[in-house]
Amino acid sequence: MYKYVFRRVYQLIIVFFLFLVSSYVLFDAIPGNAFQNLLLNPDLPPEAYEQVIKLYGLDKPLSERVILYIGNFFQGDFGYSYKHFPRTPIELIAERLPRTLMLFAMVNIIAFYTGFLIGKILAWRRGSKSETWITVTSVFSYTIFYPWWALMMLWFFGYKLNWLPIGKFLYPEKWYDAPYDSDVIFVSMIKFTLVVSVVQILVYIYTRNIESLSMRRNVRFTSLVTIAILSLLYWNQGDLAVQKPYAMDIAYHMILPIFTVTVVAFAGTALLTRTTMMEVMKDDFILTARAKGLSQKRIRDRHAARNALLPVVTSFIFTIVTIIDGSVLTETIFSWPGMGQLILDAVLEEDIPVAMASFSFIGVFALIAHFIADISYAYLDPRIRIQSQG
Amino acid sequence: MKNEKDIAKSIRREALKKNWRLFRRSKLGMIGIYIVIFFFLLSILQPILFVTGVWNKGVYDPVVGYSEQFQEFLVVECPTEYPTEKYKNRSDCPGRTEVNVRTLYYSDAEVGDYIIQNLQPAPPSREHILGTDSLGRDVFSQIMEGSQVAFILGLLSATLGVGISTLLGTIAAFFGGKVDAYLMRQSDLILMLPTLPLLFIISAFAELQVWHLAVVLGTIGGLGGSVITIKSQALQVKVKPFVDSARITGGSRMNILFSHVLPNVAPLALLFMVFSVTGAIASESVLSFLGLLNIDMSWGLMIYLAQVEGFIFSGMKFWWLILPAGLSVTFLTGGFYLVGRGLDEVFNPRLRDR
Repeated sequence: MYKYVFRRVYQLIIVFFLFLVSSYVLFDAIPGNAFQNLLLNPDLPPEAYEQVIKLYGLDKPLSERVILYIGNFFQGDFGYSYKHFPRTPIELIAERLPRTLMLFAMVNIIAFYTGFLIGKILAWRRGSKSETWITVTSVFSYTIFYPWWALMMLWFFGYKLNWLPIGKFLYPEKWYDAPYDSDVIFVSMIKFTLVVSVVQILVYIYTRNIESLSMRRNVRFTSLVTIAILSLLYWNQGDLAVQKPYAMDIAYHMILPIFTVTVVAFAGTALLTRTTMMEVMKDDFILTARAKGLSQKRIRDRHAARNALLPVVTSFIFTIVTIIDGSVLTETIFSWPGMGQLILDAVLEEDIPVAMASFSFIGVFALIAHFIADISYAYLDPRIRIQSQG
Repeated sequence: MKNEKDIAKSIRREALKKNWRLFRRSKLGMIGIYIVIFFFLLSILQPILFVTGVWNKGVYDPVVGYSEQFQEFLVVECPTEYPTEKYKNRSDCPGRTEVNVRTLYYSDAEVGDYIIQNLQPAPPSREHILGTDSLGRDVFSQIMEGSQVAFILGLLSATLGVGISTLLGTIAAFFGGKVDAYLMRQSDLILMLPTLPLLFIISAFAELQVWHLAVVLGTIGGLGGSVITIKSQALQVKVKPFVDSARITGGSRMNILFSHVLPNVAPLALLFMVFSVTGAIASESVLSFLGLLNIDMSWGLMIYLAQVEGFIFSGMKFWWLILPAGLSVTFLTGGFYLVGRGLDEVFNPRLRDR
């Protein structure tokens, strides 16, 4: 087993190295470079352009630059951003990443929960007319042409009804004399959301084993109300009372993107749950449970759904990996200044340090996830374990 | 010998019939197949209309066609303050058959006159079932052209991708060892690259047309995660008794690979193919929506044009520019997805109804 783990780590390091080299070469293959707009400036002599190119080392041959870059990379030196000069890629990512994570973590949690509930019910009602139509609807909301859908939502809620803002992270006019930086307020929002969701999940886990359904519902409802009251109190005390209107502004801007992405994302979970649930329902233990005379709801929730949860959770873990990749379109359409926009701008403007840093960040993220998945599969599946030893 | 071949043929025909019967039982799959057939008919209808001369190429060509749409307009003066009796808010004036006197530069008509003007984009009429776009091109013909693009691109890239991943997956499962390790690391590498930024980069240094994009999408899809899934399926097939007996009776490695392992992986590969059609069409639409492709006409491009010309936020006033293209992408990808679900219920014994 240890031998297997070591070999995987060794292989993954080689893959990561190849990933770095190939992404650098890809960026280099884009015609032009980040400083070409200097040539268009009539006030600057052409020597200035050449000097800047030399300053950033872009005049060196490709092979030399790749080796230099990777050498610096493993020393923890990511260089400076070409476009936001004095800032480093790490600073930029540290600023942008929380925004993306916050948005998409909320989307994924809501989508996962509702999708699982709907998928469970769909599989249970297999063959009925309502099941067919709900499934067809969720397939179309899964395959909906996403940019078009987002624009329609922006038009409908932002322009026609004028309920919600059209994109952006905040209303700048509200923030002219704000005592806090928007990032500070955003961090306290993240802390708050994290604590609330952890408490909520703990309540769910602990009430899971309450036998009577009405009792469980009551306990959960009470806890929800308690959390709501506590959070109201929390936001009205001292320092946070000043931050509250600004936090509300950011939250107001988050509603539309969250809703839009959730409609697309929940359908994927619902369809996956439906399929795995239908597989589980063929198993013998469901028949046994039926023979024991358990109620339908109990069989569905306790026996079938619990076993169908595993692949869904696995896919949930993998969607976390693809968050940054998937955020590109959403953030472009909703002008949400997060990682997706950072990557897109860096790629389009050839800001190589920022693009490389964010690519390798995604790479490390994906690598760790793959590694965990591999090891746990090997641990759970004896066939793979034995094969890898032989 | 001939007899044996006949028997094999009839067995195959029987299996096909049985699978078709299973597939017909799944309502989702049938809905999907109807949608796909509908769009397929749309895509072959356009060349037929051109060849038979029902449609004139100069008028109905999706890219360079032009049709004049003259209409009578009432000249009005838009009020400065809203709401008035006639108009509720600023976007209501001028109405569909009205023209603001302040925007009339080439005519000295007075308020209350009727003038004849060219109307583009024109609303649906008998000649143009879905109206025309702002350049006077027929939207219905564009939808048909877009459906051709979607079919060519989706099927080509899916076939290529599934071909690659099936071949590599079975090779990885069958030979194991170093080949397996190399192929798995390769798909790790492809999985690590973020797809959309990667496509942006590729479209920046290569002028992508439909064929190129199909090859690129097929290759990325074929080298990525599907290799791993197909390999695990092939591993299960490899340990089946019939493979052992083929080996004992002296089948060569290649023979076993191509006539025993591959056919048993094929159902899963077909399933992957149907799902990757969905992905390919969606990627094409996203890229042309962002204006990164060198394609004459496609659904994504239609929405791109509607967006850059500012029709998206005009709401439902110009619905024929916004709705048909977006709904086409949604329905065709959804149709392929439903077909995939139906096939899943045929091939996956654990999903069958009984």
